Amino acid sequence: MSGEQVMREWYTPLEVYTLKLWLKPVIVINILLLIFDVLRDMNAAYSAGGIICLIGIERSLPNGVSNLKKDLPLIFSGIAVIIGVISVLSSPSGFDLWLESWLVLPGILGLYWLSAPHVSRWSRSGMKIEDIEQGLARNAAQIFKVERVGKHIILAHFAFIVLLPVVWIIDIAFSPGNSLGGKVGDGFTFEHFSKLLDGEAFWTWLMNSIIVSLGTTIAGLCLAVPAAYAFSRFKFSGRDQSMFSFLLVQMFPGIIILVPYFMVMKSLGLLNSHLGLILAYSVTALPLCVWMLKGFFDTVPRELEEAAMLDGCSRFEIFSKIILPLSLPAIAVTALFSFLAAWNEFLLALTFNTSNDMYTLPVGLASMISATGQSWGDFAAASLLVSLPVVILFILFQKFLVEGLSAGGVKG
Amino acid sequence: MVSVNFEQVTKRYEDGTEAVTNLDLEVKDGEFLVLLGPSGCGKSTTLRMLAGLEDISEGEIKIDGIRINDLPAGARGLGMVFQSYALYPHMNIRDNLSFGLKRMKGEAKLPEEEIKARVEQMADMLGLVDELTKQPKELSGGQRQRVALGRALIKRPKVLLMDEPLSNLDAELRHQMRLEIRRLHEELGTTTIYVTHDQIEAMTLADRIAILDKGKLQQHCPPMEAYHNPANEFVEGFLVKHLNDIKATADSLFKE
Repeated sequence: MSGEQVMREWYTPLEVYTLKLWLKPVIVINILLLIFDVLRDMNAAYSAGGIICLIGIERSLPNGVSNLKKDLPLIFSGIAVIIGVISVLSSPSGFDLWLESWLVLPGILGLYWLSAPHVSRWSRSGMKIEDIEQGLARNAAQIFKVERVGKHIILAHFAFIVLLPVVWIIDIAFSPGNSLGGKVGDGFTFEHFSKLLDGEAFWTWLMNSIIVSLGTTIAGLCLAVPAAYAFSRFKFSGRDQSMFSFLLVQMFPGIIILVPYFMVMKSLGLLNSHLGLILAYSVTALPLCVWMLKGFFDTVPRELEEAAMLDGCSRFEIFSKIILPLSLPAIAVTALFSFLAAWNEFLLALTFNTSNDMYTLPVGLASMISATGQSWGDFAAASLLVSLPVVILFILFQKFLVEGLSAGGVKG
Repeated sequence: MVSVNFEQVTKRYEDGTEAVTNLDLEVKDGEFLVLLGPSGCGKSTTLRMLAGLEDISEGEIKIDGIRINDLPAGARGLGMVFQSYALYPHMNIRDNLSFGLKRMKGEAKLPEEEIKARVEQMADMLGLVDELTKQPKELSGGQRQRVALGRALIKRPKVLLMDEPLSNLDAELRHQMRLEIRRLHEELGTTTIYVTHDQIEAMTLADRIAILDKGKLQQHCPPMEAYHNPANEFVEGFLVKHLNDIKATADSLFKE
C-alpha cells in the first residue's frame, strides 16, 4: 500500500513535467528579448506582461510531488497567448512574429496540455493506480526525448544567430546588382565572381596576402620555436619576467602600437613593402605562439632529452631529432594561428600600405566600399573567396587544432 | 677492466642543501651494485652525476681511473635505463635501439651492417624480434622496459645505469624482469649500478649494495652481510627490520 502512495506522490504527467522543464529557458529567452526591445526603443509593455504570465505558469505548476491546482496556470497561459496575439497584430513583421512566438507558443502548449483529460484526472487525484503505473512508464521512456527537443530548439537559435550573416553574405554575393536590399534568394548570378576573377586587382591583393601570411608564418615560427624551447627548458635570469611581459603586450589594444610601428617602418623605409608587414605581424603574433609552444614543450618529458643526451646527441640534435618531431602538431597549430592572424589583419595593413598594388585582401575588400561607390555584391563575393582558404585550413587542421590547443592549455 | 670510483663527491644545490655529501664509493669491474635508500636519500642524484645529467659540486668521479667530471654525458660511454622508459615515442623499436649507435662519431662510427646486426642480436636476446617495426605505444609495459634495457646495452656501455627501472611494472612483471636483468648481467658481465628503494630488489639483484641515507653512505658490502651485520641503526631499521617484517607476514600467512 505504501508503494502505491509513493507512486501517487511522485507521479507527474509528462505534459506538466515538460511544461515546467521548458518554461525556465523560455523565460530566460523572453527576458533577453525584453532587454533587446528596450535597447531598440520598442514598446516593452507586452513583453513584460508576457514574462509575468510565463513566470506565473511556472510558479503555479506543482513542484513534482504534489497535485496540480490547474486553474491558475491555465489562466496565465491564456493571458500569455492573448498578449502575444495583440502584440503581433499591432506590428506584424516577420521578426516580431518570431519574438512573440516565444510567448504565444508556450501559452498555447500550456492551454493544450493542462486541459488534457489525463491531466485533469490527475489534478483531481482521480487516477487509478494502473494509470499511474502506465504514466510513470511513459515518463521514463519519453523524458529524455523531451529534454533533447528542448536543447535542440535553443541550439538551433544560437546556430541561426551565428549563421545568419554568412547566409546573408552568400546571398548578396550571388544576387545581381550591387545593393544590400532585396530578399534572400531573388535571382542568381556569378557576375560578381567573374568580375573579380577577371580583374587584376584581386589577384594582386591575393598575392600580397599570400606572401605576407606565409612570410609571417615562417618568420614567426623561426623566432617562436627556439624561444619557446629556451623558455621551457633553460633557467636564465629574467625568464619569468620576459614571459609575463609577453602577456602584458597582449593586453593593450592593437591601435596603441599603430603609431610607433608606423614611425619605425617609415624610418626603416619599409612602408609599402611586404617585409614591413611580415616583421610587424611576426612580432605581434610572437607572444601567443611562444606561450602555446612553451606549454607544449613543457609536456615533453625531460627524461627523453636525457636519454638522447646519453645516446650522444648534442643540444641541437636533441632539439631537431627528438623535440621537433614530437611537437609537429603543436607547431602546425601555431603556424596556422600566425597565418590566420596575418591573413585577416586589417589595421596595420591599411596604415603601412598607401599604394593600391600593396593592398592585402582585407584592405582591398575595404577599398570596395568607399566614397566612390559601394559595390556590395563584389564585396560579398570577395569576402567569400577570402574566407575560403581559412575554412579549408580549419577543416584540415581541425584534429590538430583541438589537440594542440588542449596540449598548450593544460600547462602554460 | 671497468671500475667506477666516487671520491669525496658532493652535490650541493643553489640554495645550499646537500643531496650527496662526501661520498666515497668503489664499483668493481663486472660488479652489480645496488644503490639502496629511501626516497630523497641522494641515490638517484649519485647516479645522475655519474651519467652526466647533474653537475658535480665537489670531488671526482673516475671511470677506469679517468676523471669524467667534465665529460659530456654522451662521451662517457654509459647506458642508462630510466624509470619511465623514456623511449622515443615517434620512432619504431628498431630506430629506438639504433638511435645511439647512429650517433657515434669518429673512430667509433659504426657501418650500417654492424648496426643492423647489433640491433638484431639485441632484439633476439630480449625477445623483441617481432616488435622491431612497432611503435613504443603499441608495446606492453614489460616490453617497453625491455626496449629501454636494450637501448642502453646495445652501445656495449662501460657501465650500465638503471634508475628504478621496475617501479612502473606490476608485481608479476617486476619479478620476471628482475630475473631477466640478473640473467643479462651474468651473460654480459657489464658493470652495473642499479638504483632502487625496494629492499627485495636490492637483496636479490646485488653483488654488493650501497645503502644511503640523507646523502651519506651508510654501509657498502654484499647484501647478506648487511642483513646479518647492519652497520648502524638506520640500516637495521631500513633493511633488517623491513625484511624480517616481510618474512613474519609471509610466515603468518602460510601458517593458517
